[in-house]
Amino acid sequence: MKKEDTVKLISAEGFEFVVDKEAAMVSQTIHNMLTSPGSFAERQHGEVTFPEISTTILEKICQYFYWHLQFASGKETEFPIEPELTLELMMAANYLHT
Amino acid sequence: MKRESELVGLCIEAACESRESVEKWRMQRRSLDRLPSPVADALLRRLIARRLLYPSLLEVFKHSAEEVDVRDNGSVDEEWMAYLGAFRHLRYLNLADCHRITTSALWPITGMTTLQELDLSRCFKVNDAGISHLLSVPNLEKLRISETGVTAKGVKLLASLQNLSLLDLGGLPVDDVSLTSLQVLKRLQYIDLWGSKISNKGAAVLNMFPKLTHLNLAWTSVTKLPTLSSLEFLDMSNCTIDSILEDDKSPLVKLIFSGATFLNEAGAFSYANTNLVSFLDVAHTSLHKFFFLSKMKVIEHLNLSSCMMGDDSVEMVACIGGNLKSLNLSGTRVSSAGLGILAGHVPNLEILSLSKTPVDDTGISFISMMPSLKDVDLSNTNIKGFLHQGKVDVDSSLSLMALQNLKLERLNLEHTQVRDEALYPLSSLLELRYLSLKSASLADVSLYYLSSIPKLTNLSVCDAVLTNYGIDIFKAPETLKLLDLRGCWLLTEDSILSFCRHHPQVEVLHELGTVYPFNQNGPNHSSPSRSTSRTVQMAKKKDPVPVLPYLADQRLKYSRDELLALQFASFPLASSTVDTWDVVKDCFYLVVSAGSQKQRVLSVSGIPSQPQFTSISTRLMIPVMCKILCFYYQPDRGQAANGRKGSNDTIIII
Repeated sequence: MKKEDTVKLISAEGFEFVVDKEAAMVSQTIHNMLTSPGSFAERQHGEVTFPEISTTILEKICQYFYWHLQFASGKETEFPIEPELTLELMMAANYLHT
Repeated sequence: MKRESELVGLCIEAACESRESVEKWRMQRRSLDRLPSPVADALLRRLIARRLLYPSLLEVFKHSAEEVDVRDNGSVDEEWMAYLGAFRHLRYLNLADCHRITTSALWPITGMTTLQELDLSRCFKVNDAGISHLLSVPNLEKLRISETGVTAKGVKLLASLQNLSLLDLGGLPVDDVSLTSLQVLKRLQYIDLWGSKISNKGAAVLNMFPKLTHLNLAWTSVTKLPTLSSLEFLDMSNCTIDSILEDDKSPLVKLIFSGATFLNEAGAFSYANTNLVSFLDVAHTSLHKFFFLSKMKVIEHLNLSSCMMGDDSVEMVACIGGNLKSLNLSGTRVSSAGLGILAGHVPNLEILSLSKTPVDDTGISFISMMPSLKDVDLSNTNIKGFLHQGKVDVDSSLSLMALQNLKLERLNLEHTQVRDEALYPLSSLLELRYLSLKSASLADVSLYYLSSIPKLTNLSVCDAVLTNYGIDIFKAPETLKLLDLRGCWLLTEDSILSFCRHHPQVEVLHELGTVYPFNQNGPNHSSPSRSTSRTVQMAKKKDPVPVLPYLADQRLKYSRDELLALQFASFPLASSTVDTWDVVKDCFYLVVSAGSQKQRVLSVSGIPSQPQFTSISTRLMIPVMCKILCFYYQPDRGQAANGRKGSNDTIIII
């Protein structure tokens, strides 16, 4: 996997998730960060830090990115969400415009 | 309202899955307090829709929610209100139709500075004292208290709510004095006073509201209006109108006068500024000159139903047809000739209702010349489906063929004489989504034609002679969501259930039980009634509604096999276990009930009260009964055959 095609998402605790750029772009917020003109640090390094999002939630978000891509290509599966995570995930999703 | 993003939606679904899932997140205090209000509101809405909300759960939203809509919820009471009173950011509260809301239940929201919009419509236990609780809600802008227990005295108190811009007082006994005391509310834009005791004297102060744009005076005794320089919406339905708006200042956009009486018809609209009117409803009025229409050049929605409109005045509509999007001519005397005048002048017409008009098959070709039509109602018209009446040979062209030029989405052909073969052209209506048919002359063949309409979602084939076999082989379009088979008396529960099993996405309506999609654990059984004497009584009373259940119940006695035999009446019956007399009797009741549905008087002569038929073979009787039924439903042929005498239909069986 070439470095240009991936993006590193860093959680509040410092965990790093390396995901495909295409997948991360599912989030409108990340999409804007990575494509907006000007030299945003995020765009240069391919790294985005989310000090507000915990590791558990960010992992779930990354799973969702891939699920979304699969879903868009016509594969109909459920995306399971544990009730305990719903509130935090809701807030993160709202922030990320996912 | 901004739609929440997809994952947020999935989270809300998961959070509102069940009571248990709610319990798993409701203790997460920190997250709840930080929820952005649009998300909190969406979560709250979903909880309410899933009926998972209870008073103490409301508490967790007190720092986040801004909008609470619990309308039509019988459990909302003082306890709920106590929690809602603690909401820090509550801006919008809808309690409409919450019948347990009393005056004292409103106490917790007194002094709420954030509240801007409150709906108490039809909370009939709220009275004048309740209004005094609201007076300390300083920023209230929109208040709806229609059909509550508030009296004129309470309405007077509202004068101190200086920020009010919308006031719905519908159905309250507001009188002239209390309306006069409201004239200090200079910000009012919207007043609803339907059914109040306002007279012309009270209406005269309406011009004290400089911003008034929306006024509803339906069902009042107001006959005259003062100059209202910013009025855009006016509803004076069921009023007696002497003259309206004698100045030409009001920029009127929407006018509703349905059921109104015009004292001075010629001058009714002559002075008002109607150049901007885009919506006019004059249904059920006695207007018969339509010259006023000529000024309404930008009109988009016109309702002339049950007016004295005939072919001679259709031209007035044609003149202003350029922007017309919807036109209701139901119950008028407009015939096919009138449609001919209209065709070509209504390039943008999308919705056309011709229900209960004398329009016949020649009109369909004119309808096909209205290029934007999407929704056509042709119920209760003289349409037969064949262009050349009388001739039933193969060459006579099918009139519905002309509709293929249009991109129709809705079509209503209920209570017309269209028969199976005439429906064939409908199969190539590519955009058709809603189709309504109701006729006893339709049979299984219709379903076959209809199954190839690609986008059909709602199909109703009521009162038709559909058989179990027809339903079994019916290939429902994949898009179908609702199939209404009410009144199709030959169908059995078994075949309906088996159809539902094969088409789980379709909701089926029938007297033997309504089956909802994804929920097949038991349709509602209508309790079988064997009281046949009652059936006859009902039929004699000409009461069309209660007859239907009996109509269906009669068949519960027979097994599926026996009914299958019935359906192929011309074939010999496999077994003769059915009591012959019963079959004959029941068939007769079907005839009687079906007849009473058509509101015709049927005399029950010619039927021996004793079972004398037992000797006659079933094989012989069933086709006879079916023939009688068929004849009955084909008025032209049936007239001669089933022995109609004057206005009374007499069916003589032997």
